[in-house]
Amino acid sequence: MDFQLSREQQMLKDMVRNFAETEVAPRVKALDESAQFPSDLVKRIGQQGLLGVFIPKQYGGAGMGYLARTLVIEEMSRVYPPLGFFFEGGDPGMYLILNFGSEDMKQKVLPKLCQGEKVACFAVTEASGGSNPADMQTTATAAEGGYVINGRKVFITMGSVADYCCFAARTGDKFSAFVVEKGTPGFEPGHRENVAGIKAIPVDELVFSGAKVPVGNRLGQEGQGLTAALGAITLVARPGVASVALGLARGAFEEAVKFTKERKMYGAPLINLQALQFGLADMETDIEACRWLVYYLGWLLDQGKSSREVSRDSARAKLFATEMAKRVTMGVCQMMGGYGTIYDYKVVSRLTDALTLLPAGGTNEIMRVMLGGAIAR
Amino acid sequence: MEMVVCLKQVPDPEHFSKISYDPVTRNIIREGIPAIINPLDRHALEAALQIREAVSGRVTVISMGPPQARAALEEALATGADRAVLLSDRAFGGADTLATARTLAAAIRRLCPWDVVLCGNETVDGATAQVAPQLAEMLGVPHAAQVQRVEVEGQSLQVERALENGYVKLLLKPPCLLAVGRGVNRPRLPTVIGIMEAASKELLTWGLGDLGLSPQQVGLDGSAIRVVDVVALGSGRRREVFTGSAPEAVKAAVRRLVEMEAL
Repeated sequence: MDFQLSREQQMLKDMVRNFAETEVAPRVKALDESAQFPSDLVKRIGQQGLLGVFIPKQYGGAGMGYLARTLVIEEMSRVYPPLGFFFEGGDPGMYLILNFGSEDMKQKVLPKLCQGEKVACFAVTEASGGSNPADMQTTATAAEGGYVINGRKVFITMGSVADYCCFAARTGDKFSAFVVEKGTPGFEPGHRENVAGIKAIPVDELVFSGAKVPVGNRLGQEGQGLTAALGAITLVARPGVASVALGLARGAFEEAVKFTKERKMYGAPLINLQALQFGLADMETDIEACRWLVYYLGWLLDQGKSSREVSRDSARAKLFATEMAKRVTMGVCQMMGGYGTIYDYKVVSRLTDALTLLPAGGTNEIMRVMLGGAIAR
Repeated sequence: MEMVVCLKQVPDPEHFSKISYDPVTRNIIREGIPAIINPLDRHALEAALQIREAVSGRVTVISMGPPQARAALEEALATGADRAVLLSDRAFGGADTLATARTLAAAIRRLCPWDVVLCGNETVDGATAQVAPQLAEMLGVPHAAQVQRVEVEGQSLQVERALENGYVKLLLKPPCLLAVGRGVNRPRLPTVIGIMEAASKELLTWGLGDLGLSPQQVGLDGSAIRVVDVVALGSGRRREVFTGSAPEAVKAAVRRLVEMEAL
């Protein structure tokens, strides 16, 4: 067993930490307050080469793999979780284009996504639910040269800002995956949800009313839609959510350590109180346990494991990481007393961010259904 | 233009509070303290990269240190340097600024040809600001310290050297040495592609035998200064409360500050 990051992975982690601390940290308060999509930061991240680290070099990525992606998201989320969540929202679309798109599409779209010039989103969830795609109502009806799409997607991360939307729709009695470009007639964003946390990343309804997409925009074969979507969720979306949760918890924990060292009560720093030390010890243990669960998942993905082979690892990491982030941020807010409820102290925003992660990529109840079912079989 | 950038790996200043000293050797105990590239040396590297972008050329980074200093050079390669040389030998240990400059000078001569050497003005650990001028003397080239601006002008470099209440503008014709300050530029970070490419760039390791120096010229034996003792100074806050009406309290506070020679 080798628990050591490679020299490149360690340099990447250090670079992202440095980037986040110098270019993102000074803006966190303003970003939290404005709830505006940080498109300029996305472009800067693209210039640094951080978008698509798992995308092969020939399509504009770095070809560094999935563990490297985990490190990027973790470090970005340590400082500002919504920026980490940007990867969770956009990367599944990149994965679908890479693995199911035509060569032309890969050459045309992926370099722009890797540079941050364009943004992708991934749309499966409908009003009937996200974890039961069999009930999907959106249809793709074959028409001359392509398909006509009708239906409605909900809870789509970055739906309103994405230039390319990768989505699944019913083609007869099966499901297929497609990509539609922003501005296509008959395709537009609907209601933007007022979400509790991760406020800078929009969560939107998307409405298809007779939108036409050419055959070349189909991702994979007809009927491959569910396989494609499941791969995007298992290999990219859930590991992404877990990585955001890991970084988020680490950032909140560091705030707690700083606060309890600086804040004095009874003539001494708060951190001298053993009751608080015990709390911090539990938090650190939680975070480190999570780190190895999430890194191990990244390592498995870099070994080329299929979505079927890692479905339990992916569900487990997502379940543990998001529950852990909730526990840690709640504990940090409580430890900081009244300050833990003041937005200027940031941690309360991280708590609402952590709550927002719970249903992302599938609720934790669904994760337990999957894991428990597999154990029972 | 051929440029050489001198880098030093130093303890991260964010962790200075955790630094302790060996009671016998008086050396810093570095275990558990993360190491970084000396912050001003990053500015030196950035200045070199900007010159390369303006007139083309090659940037070589060089560092004297233990084998772990390789990490600093790898980071510099990922940031854009073209090749790197690590000067690592047990004989180099315990060097003062003179022995350090002598070792660096020998390595730079071996790198010939070169046009400009760039250094950070000082390091955050030693903070002597002596290595750069000593190195310039040993190389026999003019130098400018506290450089706050660098521009290429034809075959020369126009630099601004910071003074307490202003600056001096100098035109330096290579070969020359620049010791840069914080205001000279904003150092770039490595990019992901840079990180990936770093592994394929040349990173040489040279020891004493490669430099043509004797053991008496380097390390502790080649040093003019020995550290006899290191004493950590405590610092604390004093608080005084001035009572009475606001004008009286202000007068008393000002009087006290004058007594303390703070005003």
